Amino acid sequence: MKVDKTLVASVALHVLVIGWGLVSFSSKAFESIPEETLPVDIISSDQLAKVTAGMKTGKKDNPKPLVEKVAEPKPADDAVGKISEKPPVVTDTSPPPVPKVEDKPVEKKPDPPKPVAEAKPKEEPKPIEKKPDPPKVDPIAEAIKKDEKKPLPKPQAQAAAPQPPKPKTERAFDQTKIAALLDKRDPTRQAVTGAELNSNAALGLAHGKAADNSATWGSMFKEQVERCWKKPYGGIESQNPEVAFEIKLKRDGTLEGSPVPEGTPGTPYLRVYQESALRAIIECQPYNLPAAFFDEWKYFAPVFTERKT
Amino acid sequence: MTDKDGEDRLRQMLLRPSRRQIISGMAALGVLSGAGVRHALAQGGPKRIVVPEGEFTPLPIAIPNFVPGTPADNDVAVGVTQVITNNLKRSGLFAPIDQAAYIEHITNIDTAPQFANWKTINAQALVTGRMTRQGDGRLKAEFRLWDVATGQQLTGQQYFTSPEYWRRIAHIISDQIYERLTGEKGYFDSRVVFVDESGSAQRRIKRLALMDQDGANVRYLTKGADLVLTPRFSPSTQEITYMEFGQGDPRVYLLNIETGQREIVGNFPGMSFSPRFSPDGQRIIMSLQQGGNSNLFVMDLRSKSTTRLTDTPAIDTSPSYSPDGARLCFESDRGGKPQIYVMPAGGGAAQRISFGDGTYSTPVWSPRGDYIAFTKQGGGQFSIGIIKPDGSGERILTSGFHNEGPTFAPNGRVLMFFRDPGGNDGASLFTVDISGRNELKVPTPGFASDPAWSPLLS
Repeated sequence: MKVDKTLVASVALHVLVIGWGLVSFSSKAFESIPEETLPVDIISSDQLAKVTAGMKTGKKDNPKPLVEKVAEPKPADDAVGKISEKPPVVTDTSPPPVPKVEDKPVEKKPDPPKPVAEAKPKEEPKPIEKKPDPPKVDPIAEAIKKDEKKPLPKPQAQAAAPQPPKPKTERAFDQTKIAALLDKRDPTRQAVTGAELNSNAALGLAHGKAADNSATWGSMFKEQVERCWKKPYGGIESQNPEVAFEIKLKRDGTLEGSPVPEGTPGTPYLRVYQESALRAIIECQPYNLPAAFFDEWKYFAPVFTERKT
Repeated sequence: MTDKDGEDRLRQMLLRPSRRQIISGMAALGVLSGAGVRHALAQGGPKRIVVPEGEFTPLPIAIPNFVPGTPADNDVAVGVTQVITNNLKRSGLFAPIDQAAYIEHITNIDTAPQFANWKTINAQALVTGRMTRQGDGRLKAEFRLWDVATGQQLTGQQYFTSPEYWRRIAHIISDQIYERLTGEKGYFDSRVVFVDESGSAQRRIKRLALMDQDGANVRYLTKGADLVLTPRFSPSTQEITYMEFGQGDPRVYLLNIETGQREIVGNFPGMSFSPRFSPDGQRIIMSLQQGGNSNLFVMDLRSKSTTRLTDTPAIDTSPSYSPDGARLCFESDRGGKPQIYVMPAGGGAAQRISFGDGTYSTPVWSPRGDYIAFTKQGGGQFSIGIIKPDGSGERILTSGFHNEGPTFAPNGRVLMFFRDPGGNDGASLFTVDISGRNELKVPTPGFASDPAWSPLLS
């Protein structure tokens, strides 16, 4: 029998190539290293504000008093409002600041009654009252008026009502006098002085609730306890069970004592539900929680619930 | 524009959030509620960590063989253990752990077990028991149900019975365990009457048969000479009403399953069919044929007086009482196609509750009162479904070539129905949870159809 050499060569080569492929391409299945999950809790800005808010009852971390100006220490009653004793900015062109003090009372005094007259009685007669007034310009009389209670102007207005120049005076809004409507009195107080500037009031710093890492260790706890929780079958009717416990954990993650259920279950199903949760808490210990947050998780209340909200 | 206008606009912008702000705000609310951290609740007490609704998981339970009181009791002890294990497993709510995994061998049920041994194999509940033949010939059954995590006894009972009723004892113990661990009544101590079918497809022999709900203890109630259909249990569980094609028209019969005594219900011209007992067992409600139509009638079993409940030129059939006996559900084609209607038990205005595509038939009211089960036909399929008595919450539990005739377990949690695969094969019985889970075939000696579940026997 004659053997075809090319056939032999072909077979040999194929075997070689396939064999080489089998050896060199075979490899262990890719090992997928289970990644540690990083629990993330998405919170609203509102929640963030709450979390970082300081608390009045918080530990006073900053015993230094508020100091706004380096000077002889002088206790301040109430450190709220603008500091009135600003040093005047002196430039070449700036007018002497003195007249201001004089102007203010003059401008202010006659003005306040105006808004009262304008804003309060929207009926027509009132503006009338205004017209006759300016000629009278009598600071004393006006000062008295200010002190008088509001009902008083009315009879005056009625008396003046028959006067004809009504239409003209209506909406006598003078744009140039807008500034006069503002109360230009600054809240005044003295700067709090001290030996060293310190802009933080000692009201307890933002450590109030900031150390709330429950999103982290809480979800780690959830993940672990869920593995042991054999939730009883509640059927298709939603009974919305919810049971809570108070538990104390030791540093090693084991229970310090038996979990204390909150309240007694009212229905057989609730009792079963509570028992199943209790079983899960006991069975799943020790819990592997971050040691750094031990102060937070040494005592907490797991809530087992079917409620959606 | 004056300064004041500008100020107003500014204020509006501050007070009236844009649509986007509202949406993002609501999203944030949703996140907040779902985040699992309830700051609102955190006032005062310890930090609350919410463990939200998880998936339901069957409860791992260890059921070591019951301890025989004497060596002669070994067989019955093992038998009871097997029946309990099978019951709990079939319910779908428990996961019995293989006995091969057990570390501890229970030899004495009067001392507490070593719970660490059962924790190791992840059992959450443990059943121990003992079967002892008494001097008077009776059988004594004892059991204890333990919570492995806390080491507490959850329940414990003892019973005395004739040795031949050992299966019933096992069912009763199963019900106790089921009730204690789920908070629901059990259903294991119950029976099922059904139509046993044998022979070829052309010459089927149909016999009334009775069995335990797990398929054991099959008894035949009729010989198979005549065609039987729609057997129904009386609440006393001693009697069955059914329809039989005798020599003439089909008739409704009443059968005492203990004595075998049989009688025709009423003496009506024409056909009487689809009977069912009232919840108090005093009356039988059924359909009577009147020409091309049929109407609902109720007959008092003591006085034999008959009352007409409907009078329509339509086919009214398959009546079923609500558990309080105040209302009826039935099937009627008065609206064109067969649909389910609900009306007062004394007759009166009927309200249609089924509005889906296709036709609805064989309604049956749950013993819990919360649902009505039905057969739905449409789209070339027969489905089993449930609907609330007000017509809401319809859900289909299973669909296929032919599924028909649902009947509720005594606790209203499980439905049994029959399924015909088509072809030469006959029908079989199946159970399904009313949530649609855990569909299981019920073992029967031959083909089987038309099941009816009894109330609890005890």
